This record gives sequence, C-alpha cells and structure tokens, in this order.
Amino acid sequence: MEILDGIGQGFSVALDPTNLLYVFLGVLIGTVIGVLPGLGPTATIALLLPLTYEIDPTTAIILLAGIYYGSMYGGTITSVLLQLPGEAASVVTTFDGYQMAKQGRAGPALGIAAVGSWIGGTLAVIGLTLLAPPLADLAVEFGPPEYVALTALGILLVTYLGTRHPVKSLSMAALGLLLATIGQDAITGTTRFTFDQISLFDGLDFVAVAMGLFGVGEILHNVEKTEKAQAVVGKIKNIWPSREDFRASAGPIARGSVIGFFIGVLPGGGGVISSLASYATEKRRAKDPTRFGKGAIEGVAGPETANNASSTSAFIPLLTLGIPANVVLALIFGALLIQGVTPGPQLISQNPEIFWGVIASMYIGNAMLLALNIPLVGFFVQLLRVRSGILASFALLVTMAGVFSVNNDPFDMWVVLVFGIIGWLMKKTGFEPGPLVLAFVLGSILERAFRQSMLLSGGEFSIFLTRPMSGVLFAAMALVITVSTLTALRRRRRSRPATPGEEDLAAADATAEPEGTPGAESVDRDARTPGTGERDDRA
Amino acid sequence: MRTAAALVGLAVVALLAGCGEEQAGGGDAASYPTESIRLLVPYDAGGPTDLTTRTVGACLESELGQTVVVENLPGGSGALATTELVGAEPDGYTLSLVTAGTTVLTPLANEVGYTKDDITPIGVMAEVPSVLAVGADSPYASAEDFFAAVEADPGAVSVGVPGASTPQAIELQRLADEHGAEVTTVPFDGNAEMTTALLGGNVDAVLINASLDVVENIDAGSFVPLVASSEERLSWLPDTPTFTELGYEGLTLSGSTFGLAGPAGLPDEVAGTLEDTLRGCLEQEEVRQQLGDRYVPEEFGTAEDLRAVLDETQEVYEPILG
Repeated sequence: MEILDGIGQGFSVALDPTNLLYVFLGVLIGTVIGVLPGLGPTATIALLLPLTYEIDPTTAIILLAGIYYGSMYGGTITSVLLQLPGEAASVVTTFDGYQMAKQGRAGPALGIAAVGSWIGGTLAVIGLTLLAPPLADLAVEFGPPEYVALTALGILLVTYLGTRHPVKSLSMAALGLLLATIGQDAITGTTRFTFDQISLFDGLDFVAVAMGLFGVGEILHNVEKTEKAQAVVGKIKNIWPSREDFRASAGPIARGSVIGFFIGVLPGGGGVISSLASYATEKRRAKDPTRFGKGAIEGVAGPETANNASSTSAFIPLLTLGIPANVVLALIFGALLIQGVTPGPQLISQNPEIFWGVIASMYIGNAMLLALNIPLVGFFVQLLRVRSGILASFALLVTMAGVFSVNNDPFDMWVVLVFGIIGWLMKKTGFEPGPLVLAFVLGSILERAFRQSMLLSGGEFSIFLTRPMSGVLFAAMALVITVSTLTALRRRRRSRPATPGEEDLAAADATAEPEGTPGAESVDRDARTPGTGERDDRA
Repeated sequence: MRTAAALVGLAVVALLAGCGEEQAGGGDAASYPTESIRLLVPYDAGGPTDLTTRTVGACLESELGQTVVVENLPGGSGALATTELVGAEPDGYTLSLVTAGTTVLTPLANEVGYTKDDITPIGVMAEVPSVLAVGADSPYASAEDFFAAVEADPGAVSVGVPGASTPQAIELQRLADEHGAEVTTVPFDGNAEMTTALLGGNVDAVLINASLDVVENIDAGSFVPLVASSEERLSWLPDTPTFTELGYEGLTLSGSTFGLAGPAGLPDEVAGTLEDTLRGCLEQEEVRQQLGDRYVPEEFGTAEDLRAVLDETQEVYEPILG
C-alpha cells in the first residue's frame, strides 16, 4: 500500500498552512492570467520563477502547478465571451462556446466548463496517483513515427471541426501548414521565408497568430456592427446550466477526462491536441453533428474537461522521467533544478514529499478552482453588458500587451495586427481560423517528426506501418477516410443523384462545394483551390 | 503583471540610455558601476543558461552593490539578445551571456549583422561538456564497440543532437568529414526530446549537453556515457574516454562555454572590474554549489580564455558553414 502511504504523506504536506496559501495563490493567479488574453501560463511562470528561488521546493512547485492548471479554467472565460482564447488549449472552446454566448447561453457554457474542468482535473489526479510509473514507460515509446501519425490524424480531424465547408477548412489547414514552414529548418538549420528578419528565425509565434486571427479578427468584425452585437447582449437568461445541459454533458465530460489524461502523458501532447481530440470525438458521436459549431454544449464540456485532465497528466513524464512535456513544464523543471532537485526516475524515492505533496495539492487546488469559478460565472457574464466599443478597445490593449510579454519582442505585436486583419477578412469571406491555427501548431511537429522518421529509416516509408502504435493510428485514419467517403457517397446517391460532383460532407448548409470527394483528400490538392468565391453570411 | 514589469524595464532602459549619453564623454569608468546593470540571457527562463546567468547575476549584484536585472530575450538562435547587446552603449551597463553558438555559429549560418568581434569578452561563467551516450540496453557497451559498428556500416547508427545548427550537430559532421566515421545525425529540439528518444530506443545514441538532467540519468543507469567531448577526462566521469584518446583528434568543440560579455569597445577598467568580480564570485562555495560544482572550471576562465574559445570555434567552423 505504497500509494496510500504516499498520498497520506502528500496530504500532510499539502495541508500545511503555507502550502494551502500557495496553492490558493497559484490557482487564483492562474485564473486571472487565463482570463487575460495573451497572458498565458508560460509568460507568468517565467516571470514568477525568480521569486520561487527563496521558498521551499515543494511549495514552489505547488504554486507553479496551481498557476498552470488554474489558467486552464480561466482560459475558457474569454474564449466563450469574446472568442479570445486566453491560452492555446482554449482555441477549440471558441467554436461552440462563443456561439452559445451569442445565443445568450454564456452562463451555462462557463458553468459546464468549470464543472467539467473540475471533474477532468480530479480524475486526472487520481490517474496520476495510481498510474504514473507505467504510463511514463509507455510515453517514452512514442517516437517520431508515432508523432507523424498523431499529428496527421489531428490535421485530418481538423477538417471536421466546427466547419460547414470542408474545402474551405482544408485550404485553411494548408495555409496553416505553409505558415508553419517559416523559420529555421529543424533538420538542416537553414532559414526559410525569413527575409533576413531575425524575429522570423524561430517562425511566427503561435500566440500572436492565434490572438490575431481569433481575437483581433473578431474585434474588428464586431466593431463593424456595434448595434447588432449589443442587441445580443440584452438577452442573457439563465446563468446556470440546466438539468438537460448536465445530462447532455455527462458523456463528453467522462470521455474528455480519459482522452485528456492519456494525451497529456505524451511529450508535447497536452493542451491543444487533447481538446481537439475530445471535440472531434464528441462530434463523431453526436446524433446530429451539424449542431457543432453552432453552440452545442457538448463541444464546450468535452474539450474543457480534456485540457484540464491533460494539464494534470502532463506532470507524469516530468515527475517520473524528468522529461518536461511542454514549455510550461520545462519552466517548472527549471524551478526544481534551481532548488537543487533534479526530477527523474529517482524523484519518488528521494524526494517523496515533493512528488506526493504536489499531487495532493492538485486535489485541493481543483476543489478551490471550482469554488472560485462558480460564483464568478455570474460576474464574468456581466462583462458582456459593457458597451462593445469599450470592451473591444480594452481587449485589444490587453491582447497587445500579452503578446508582447511572451517574447519581449515588439515584432510579435505587428504579427497580431496583420493576422487580425487576415482574420477579419476570413470572417467576412466565410473562412474559419480554427483549422489554420491548429494546422500551424501541428505542422511544425509533423514536419520535424516526419523528417526524423525518414532519417531513422533511411527513407523507408514502411517505418510508419511496421511500428505497432503508429500502425494502429494510420489504420484509424484510413478507417475515418473510408467511412466518411462511403457515407458521403451514400448520401449523394440518396439526395441528389442528378448532380454528381456536388457534395458537402458536413451537409449543414444546402450550398454544396464544387468539389468531388470531401474530407480527406490530399491537402496539397486543395491548397490550389483556396476558396470558391462563395459568401457565407452567417454571424 | 508582466506588462508592469515590461514598463519598468522600458523605463530603466530609457534611463540607462539617457545616462549612457551623458557618460560617454565623461569617462568616469573608474567609478563603475554607479547604476543598475542589465544582464541578457539569449534563451528561455528555466534552462541551464538562465540558471547560470541568474546565479552569477545575483553574485555580481551583491559584490558590485548595484542592481542586476536579468532579462530573457530568447529567439533567433541567440541573435535577438546578441543584437541587443552589440547595439548597446559599451559602458558596462548592458551585458549578456554568450556562447560559441550565439556569437560564432549563428552569425556564420545566418545573416545577422554582427560577428564575434562585436563583443568584449569578460570571462567564463560555466562550462557544460557534451557526452556521447547510449541507453542502458544498448548493444554498444564501450566506445570501441560503438565506433566499430559505425565504421562497419556507415550511416547505420543513428545519433540524436539537440538541434540542427548546434555544436553537437557540427561535431558529428566533422566526425564524418575529418575522420570518416559516418553516423546518421537526427536533430531533435533540446535535451528533453533527445532523452525521450534515447530512453524509448528510437535513436541508437545521443550527443548531448551533460546538464543536470543528463547527469541524473547517468547516475540512475539509464544513460551510459561512452565518450566525453572535453580535452581531458571529466573529473566526475573518470572512466569515460575523450574523442582525442580514441583517435578522433580535435573533436573538443561540442561542449558549451557560457561566457559573460559586453559590447565591443568596453573600457578596460570596466572590463577589468567585471572580470575580477566574476573571478571572485566563482570562488565562492555557495555560487559553485548553485552552478553545479562540476560545471565551474577548476581554473578561472579569463577574458582571454573566452576569446580563445570563440576564435578557435570560428576558425574550425568557418570552412564548414561559411
């Protein structure tokens, strides 16, 4: 009963008044910075890192961990209210959350996100308590070919996300992949498309691109039609999710917890990929997938649960192998190093008070976050009553400051503005920023992993099929493609036999795309047909 | 919060710039320092470079009696911070961590508008060697086994490096060019990714900066060090031979030297004050502990030593990259 002893010791550490105070501080700061667009956990933890040198290592990690998972709660709020993803993982929440807010259902969206986050977070801590060591071994097996499979699957799923026009979203995904090639080539080290600008050596900053396309694009769009926006605000009805909402969300929350937990364990997995996977799962399972992207509560509950679960399970590789799964955990890793503690396979035996103390503090922190967020829902919803002009200028200001804070590079502020204008134009022409942003994130991982795989195999493509895990993932992809093609074919035969070549996978709008096989065709091909000149007048 | 810090930072910069002008003609370098010092790190917070700079920064602050503001300016393989450094007034109030990577490799590989001659070296803060390591269940039990396999089948053995244009990657290229031992070099993104790849058996070996995380894996037995990149055997790895011993002469450049430097044209008095202070700091037991005793050179690396490292790297790398 090592685990019981361990967790007992953990709670005795975590319930120490100092540590209780720091876990509270952590989740509070996390919530606040999650709310402020652009100011993500990375920037905040980098800033606070020097302050932790003086405090006890366990307390320091409890604080920093609290900021991290706290920001996952906070990030939801602006995603729902303003379509400004507070941090990367919340991009997916904007798809349905913002639509819910437009329908006056911001309260239920925020409420279900808080509850889901709490359940996901807590279940993930339980998983962390029980499964940390075996899972860490499994995660290490994940090599470059598996990453190719995972990211390719992700990009494939992007085409189904909250979109009514597969061709438009494919072309946006292609653009995202193209933008991901800017910067230093990961394998040869030469620079591509940088025009000798030092600021472009590392490529475009993800935060700047996402903030521009989603946030600034939306602000510009709203400024155009101020009165309309205010009219929507007038009818905020219920602040709390109804019984029906809870019933609809139970499944997504349960699945989101599991998906988030396992994806979070993978190095580089957490955040966006987990919420993306959850969203895709819910959409595939739904009886009526067309509701997604129009304010389906499942599309908020699942991803929000998953990103919280993944932010917790991301601690597994760090605490058991000394491998930080993402940038935030790399900072926490640094904090431990500075304290003279090296996370690694021996952490559990050498510093049990850190390992178990941090885990126990996560149970407490998640409970605090629920208590903190539920009463705040009402408060945040009131934000929508602020005149949209004032809200827009304030949001723009905070966005710019937040983006600058990531790299201390003014160049990024120009990136936000340029992508803001692109986002606004996309909005007007019916293109959605989601696929672009997600393909941009996944593209650089995909490219590097693919070329690493080619180096390792000496150029043999069989490496992707002969390895069990990547083989399974590619088989899953083949299945998705086959099923969607067959469904589409059948639907075409049933609905419009006379006009072959006109089909729309999502089938939400009757206006079909002039493109043959929907869904999973080669991205390259679609890249050559960016946009079909159709107008999309929703919003 | 971050914004407030940035604003304060800006105010400080503005203040410094103003004062710098006044002082340019005054030449009161003898009374240096009279105001706060800005110390740049060309990498993210939390890594070994950041840890080193902050530890040294704290010591400089207490020794010199002026605030030292450590600022992370990552990006462009160090070009962002180094550009900031070389563009600053050479008055000793803007300093930076420099490595052969940021001041030699990056300018050789890219158009960045500065070279290693645009800085004034002050001294060596720490030296982190590289090691060629394999996993615990590797078929190569020794360096001899490893190189026998490499020479038997060129390109069949894969070796991970922390990035495409890193000293480690270039060293493996030199291993092939100068010594005919050809491995397949697989660039990863930093130590964490390489560690995962080696533990998962996705690469046969890694040439990796032996920072604390790697030392931990060596101690735990999950990494087996085969070769050290230093000129002589490392005191903490007495059983690991060097490349030179194994007959691969000259492959001593894959380690990292973390130097302290100012912009070119730093007055001698200022550079001297800083060098002496740094020397004093590195003798303090507490500082050595925090930096990691094994990373602080036994004998203080002077400004000239740092200059020599950069010059040698330039000389060797220029024909390869230039």
